[in-house]
Amino acid sequence: MWPVIVLLAGPVVAGLLSLVIHRARLLHVVNFSTMLALAVAETALTERVLADGSITTLGTLVYVDALSDFILAIITAIGLSCSLYMWSYMDDQVARGVIAPKRLSLFFFLFHMFLFAMVGATMANSLGVQWVALEGTTLATTFLIAFFRRRESLEAGWKYLILCSVGIALALFGVVLTYYSSVRVLSDVSAALNITALTAVANQLDPNVLKLAFIFVLVGYGTKVGLVPMHTWLPDAYAEAPAPIAAMLAGVLETVAVYTLLRSKVLVDQAISPTFSGNLLITFGLLSFVVAALFVLIQHNYKRLFAYSSIEHMGLAMIGFGVGGFAGTFGGLFHLLNHALAKALAFFVAGNIHRRFDTLEIDGVRGLARSQPITAAAILVAGCALAGLPPFSPFVSELLVVSAVAAQDFASDTVHVGRFVTLAISDEMRSLGIVALFLSFGVVLFGGFMYRIGMMVWGTPPPGSLQGESWTVGHVPVMVIVGALIGLGFMLPEPIRILLTRAVNVIVVR
Amino acid sequence: MPVSTHLGSQLVDLCSVLLLLCCFAIVAQRRLSACVDLFALQSVFLAATAALVAFLTGHRHIYFAAALTIVIKVIVLPRILRKVIERLNVSRELVMNVNVPAGLLICGALVIVSFFITQPIIPLGYLLTRDSLAIALAIVLIGFFTMIARKKAVTQMVGFLVMENGVFLGATAAAYGMPLIVELGVFFDVLVAGLIVGIYTHRLQDAFDSVDTSTLTVLKE
Repeated sequence: MWPVIVLLAGPVVAGLLSLVIHRARLLHVVNFSTMLALAVAETALTERVLADGSITTLGTLVYVDALSDFILAIITAIGLSCSLYMWSYMDDQVARGVIAPKRLSLFFFLFHMFLFAMVGATMANSLGVQWVALEGTTLATTFLIAFFRRRESLEAGWKYLILCSVGIALALFGVVLTYYSSVRVLSDVSAALNITALTAVANQLDPNVLKLAFIFVLVGYGTKVGLVPMHTWLPDAYAEAPAPIAAMLAGVLETVAVYTLLRSKVLVDQAISPTFSGNLLITFGLLSFVVAALFVLIQHNYKRLFAYSSIEHMGLAMIGFGVGGFAGTFGGLFHLLNHALAKALAFFVAGNIHRRFDTLEIDGVRGLARSQPITAAAILVAGCALAGLPPFSPFVSELLVVSAVAAQDFASDTVHVGRFVTLAISDEMRSLGIVALFLSFGVVLFGGFMYRIGMMVWGTPPPGSLQGESWTVGHVPVMVIVGALIGLGFMLPEPIRILLTRAVNVIVVR
Repeated sequence: MPVSTHLGSQLVDLCSVLLLLCCFAIVAQRRLSACVDLFALQSVFLAATAALVAFLTGHRHIYFAAALTIVIKVIVLPRILRKVIERLNVSRELVMNVNVPAGLLICGALVIVSFFITQPIIPLGYLLTRDSLAIALAIVLIGFFTMIARKKAVTQMVGFLVMENGVFLGATAAAYGMPLIVELGVFFDVLVAGLIVGIYTHRLQDAFDSVDTSTLTVLKE
């Protein structure tokens, strides 16, 4: 039980402590030791989950199976590296006078509340509590995104608050509909939203109600994931948020939002068939992928560049989950991990560049290789990994997803366009079409991405700019993540492989 | 069906319709303080519906939800919003993306759409109040529309709260209220969202000298 308690209570305690501590060093120590404790608890929890299968505790409030444990692992891993990066990043911001020293307490309080909400959303047994926690992340991060209080960041924060709250209010209607379908099947009404109870009776739930519910949930949580066309808040928020927050939003919050979607998908798949949710996910996924690739081409701001890459990668993961089966789902889940790592690295590096060059414009950054060699190497790694190049791990997961699409025989062989036109397309044609679309926009994206990053890395630094890079504690997570991205590209450690396989078995409905 | 439950079911339907009427009034209203008042009135009807459902079905925990609705949505949130309006000195909505008659027509269409969407699933419910589901969906959609159609930060917040009311009507009337812990959580979220909007509009005012969100155009492609 203790790992669950540590994971839930840790952020709350640390958040409250942060409010009363006013010394920067102590705040960082509290933050780092909390994250370390969470990581240890998560490791212990993983052992338990691998041994027992799933854990239900605190009454029936908490439910952790392989899927939620995998998401928790991403939260704690990225959170831990963020806490180290924040150490140097936030101190630097205070030293420059960008933020007042006393606001550091508020920053850490909000950060821990954000963390608590994400852990809560992942561990909650009830779909309703999950919704409450996910809305909690919106409320906690609004001020974090606007933390620098510039006009642009205030605007980004407002947009984020409004769009995500609206989106997620639609998701709540989806949750209510799920509840509506379950109350007459389940005798105990107070458990009618519990994942454990719902999974047990999922095949008796009414397909029509669940179809409607899933559409609401997809649009709602999809806003949080950043799927096109509900993505408009995302580039602004990521560009304006402080770098470690952007890393958490892109690496972790999107992952948690995908997790909430997957929980609904499991239910719907059992009640109807995987084709219904699969087709929807593939449609939204492809749309996100294509639109993001086009927007990457025209970006002049490196943080926005990474933001659009997030939309693209989430689209990719959605295609993986949509295609389903073992390969697609495994690829999608593995891609969530790889994307979280690569995106955290990218935003850490972006923070370093921003501090040195004081601009977010790609045109303003030149000659990174000479002025900041470590950062330059890291941004090349992040860029190559996000563009899907070997030997980095996102290449492996992308390959898995693409091959799953190619191997898929779609259940229906006709595509209805409008009401009267029915296109007869053979299964192979359809999956080959998706693969072709996918690969061609992949190339577009790769080109745009590497071109922009190359512009920043090579060339001569602006005259009079500071040369050389001194070692800080913030470089530790950068190095570790680079190592992880390369390492996971070559081999998948046994515990992660088993955990992933179990998580796939949770999602895939046979 | 016994006469009393039949009557009860009709009363719940009546209350739901009153909620829907408040939505139309909000869409037609240009004065911000009146929008807030209408939201408070709508919340009163929501609390009445919840109390009625609690009385008819004997589910005691719905009384609790009704009481919370009164405290948070009828008293606290409108007070916060009125303070914001007073402090920012904005009384009328001068910029709208959609004018009032067109807005009302769209809302009418949204009601028809929601009845159309929920038509196949309403007969599945066995509860006496299942007809309210269509109205709840209509309220959610109209709240959504209000947020798109209006530009002032305050009205956008009212739109969000209206959506929340719609969801609550759906939960209480169609499924006898969600589990208590979920309802408490949702109330907490709504309250915090209200507080955040209160603080945030203040900052927007400082930075932009306006709470018209159409001035938020620094960020674009």
